[in-house]
Amino acid sequence: MKTFCAWLLVFAVAAVVGAQDWNRAGLPDSAINAPKTKAAPAPKRDITGIWDAGGAGIAGPGHESAPWTDWAKQKAASYKPGNGPRAVYEADINDPLSTVCDPSGFPRLVMYETRPFQVVQTPNQVLILYMFEKRWRVIWTDGRALPNNPDPRWYGYSVGRWEDDSTFVVNTIGTDERTWLDNSGNPHSSELKVEERYHRVNHDLLELTVTLDDPKAYTRPWTPRNKMPLTLAPANFDMMEMICSPTEVMDFRKNISDRSNTVR
Amino acid sequence: MNRLVIVGAIVVMGTAAAVAQNLPWNNPGGAQGPAAAGSAPPGPAPTRDIGGIWDAGGAGIGARGMQTAPLTAWGETVGKTHHSGDGARMVPADQINDPLSVLADPGGFPRQLLFELRPFEVVQMPNKVLMLYMFEKRWRVIWTDGRQLPTNPDPRWYGYSVGHWEDDYTFVVNSNGTDERTWLDNAGNPHSDQLKVEERYHRVDRNTMELTVILDDPKAYTRPWTPRDKLKLALVPSSTDLMEMIPSASESAAVRSIYAAEAAAGKK
Repeated sequence: MKTFCAWLLVFAVAAVVGAQDWNRAGLPDSAINAPKTKAAPAPKRDITGIWDAGGAGIAGPGHESAPWTDWAKQKAASYKPGNGPRAVYEADINDPLSTVCDPSGFPRLVMYETRPFQVVQTPNQVLILYMFEKRWRVIWTDGRALPNNPDPRWYGYSVGRWEDDSTFVVNTIGTDERTWLDNSGNPHSSELKVEERYHRVNHDLLELTVTLDDPKAYTRPWTPRNKMPLTLAPANFDMMEMICSPTEVMDFRKNISDRSNTVR
Repeated sequence: MNRLVIVGAIVVMGTAAAVAQNLPWNNPGGAQGPAAAGSAPPGPAPTRDIGGIWDAGGAGIGARGMQTAPLTAWGETVGKTHHSGDGARMVPADQINDPLSVLADPGGFPRQLLFELRPFEVVQMPNKVLMLYMFEKRWRVIWTDGRQLPTNPDPRWYGYSVGHWEDDYTFVVNSNGTDERTWLDNAGNPHSDQLKVEERYHRVDRNTMELTVILDDPKAYTRPWTPRDKLKLALVPSSTDLMEMIPSASESAAVRSIYAAEAAAGKK
C-alpha cells in the first residue's frame, strides 16, 4: 500500500507539474516530424485544438505566385520587401507589418507567420486564435451569406461549412488591399477571394490548403499552401506572446539605419 | 404525411435560412449608447457559465480615466512622464505620448478592461476560459486547469491569468506578469510589473453580468483600489458579428501629422 501511495503521489505531482506549462513557442521539431502511425481516427466534424505547422508555417522567402496582372505590377512596384526575389536592404524595407507593425491582415496570417493557433467550435461559429499578433477571427457557420460589397476589414469576412465529415471549408472576401500577401511583397486587391480547406487526416494531423482567386491582381487562381501538415499540440499548451510593437520596431530600425549609414 | 405539416416545415426552414442569410455584419456593439438588450428571454443565471458575447455599452469605455488610489513616489515619477489625452495629465493633442493612441503599441492588460472595454466574447473550455475582445481584436487565455501563476515571469503585454469558480455564479481571475510599459488607462495612470489584478465576473441572471476589477500594485499605489465596481454587462445575441477596431500605426501617424500641421499653423 505504501508503494502504491508513493506512486500516486508521484503521478499527482507529475500531473500538477505537467499543467504548469507557460509561454511555449511551439512544438519542438521532434514532435512536428514524429511518425503518426498510431494516431486515432479523426473525430467527425471537429477541427478543434491547438495546431502547429512547425517551421513550414513560417514561409520565410515568401510564395511563388501566379503571374501578376498589370495592376499588380504597378501596385507591387512600390513594395520594398525584406524577402523574396525583390528583397532590398534592411534599412530600405517598407513592409507595413515589419516596419510599422500595421496589422498583418488576412490572408497573410495564413501565408507567412502561421505559428501555432487554436481552433474553437461553437454552435454557430468557428473561432481561430492565432499566436502571431495574438489576433482572432470568426468564421460564421450559421448559414449567413458573405456580405455584398463590404467595407474592407484587415481580417476580412468569413463563412464556413463542412464539405464532408473531415473537411471544413472557409470562404473569405472583403480583405484590405493595404496588406501584403506575404513578406516577399506579393500584392492583392480588395476583390481577393480566399478558400481555406482544413482536412483532418486523423486525430493528430490536419492539412491546410489555401487557394487565392484575385483576377484583378493575378492572371489565374493559385494555391500558396497545399496540404500543409499541422500537428495537434497538447491542450494545456500556453502559447507565448508574439506581438509586433511599433516602439520596439522603431528602436530596431533606428539601430539598423544608424549601422547602415555608418557602413555607407 | 399531412400536407399542411410539410408546407409548414418548408416555411419554417425557409424562414430560418432567410434569417441566417440576412444576419448583419460589422456590429459596433452598444458601446456608443445603452448596452444592447438581452438576446434571450430573461431567466436565472446558468450555473458556472459566463459564455457569450457581452457588452458594457458606453460605461465600458472609461474615457476620462480612472480615479486611483494615491500614487507612491515611484508611481508619481513614472506618471509625470505620461502625457495623456485625457484626465488630469491631459496635454494638447500634438504632445500626447500615449503608446496606444500615438503609436498603436498593444493596449495590454489590464488597460483592456479599464479603457476601451468594447464588446467581448467569452468561450469556456474544459481547461480554460478564452476572452476575445473587439477592441484590438486580441484574445487572452485564463487557465482553469489548476496551474499556479508563474513565479517571477517574463512580462507579457497581456500578462498571465488563472481562474476559478468562487461559487456557481462568480468566476474569479487572478493575473500577474504584466508589462509596465503599458498604461492603465488613457489618463496615463501607471503600473509596475508587480501589479496583481483580480477580476470578478458575477452572473446576476441569464442576460446580465457584473465585472469588478481590483488592482494591487504596492510599487505604484499606496493601497489596492477598485477601478471597476460591478460594471454591468448585457448579453448580446450570439450571432453578433463584432466590427473591427484595430489601432494601426500608419493611420495613427497620419492623424498625428494632421495635429502637428494644425499646431504649427496655430503657432504662426
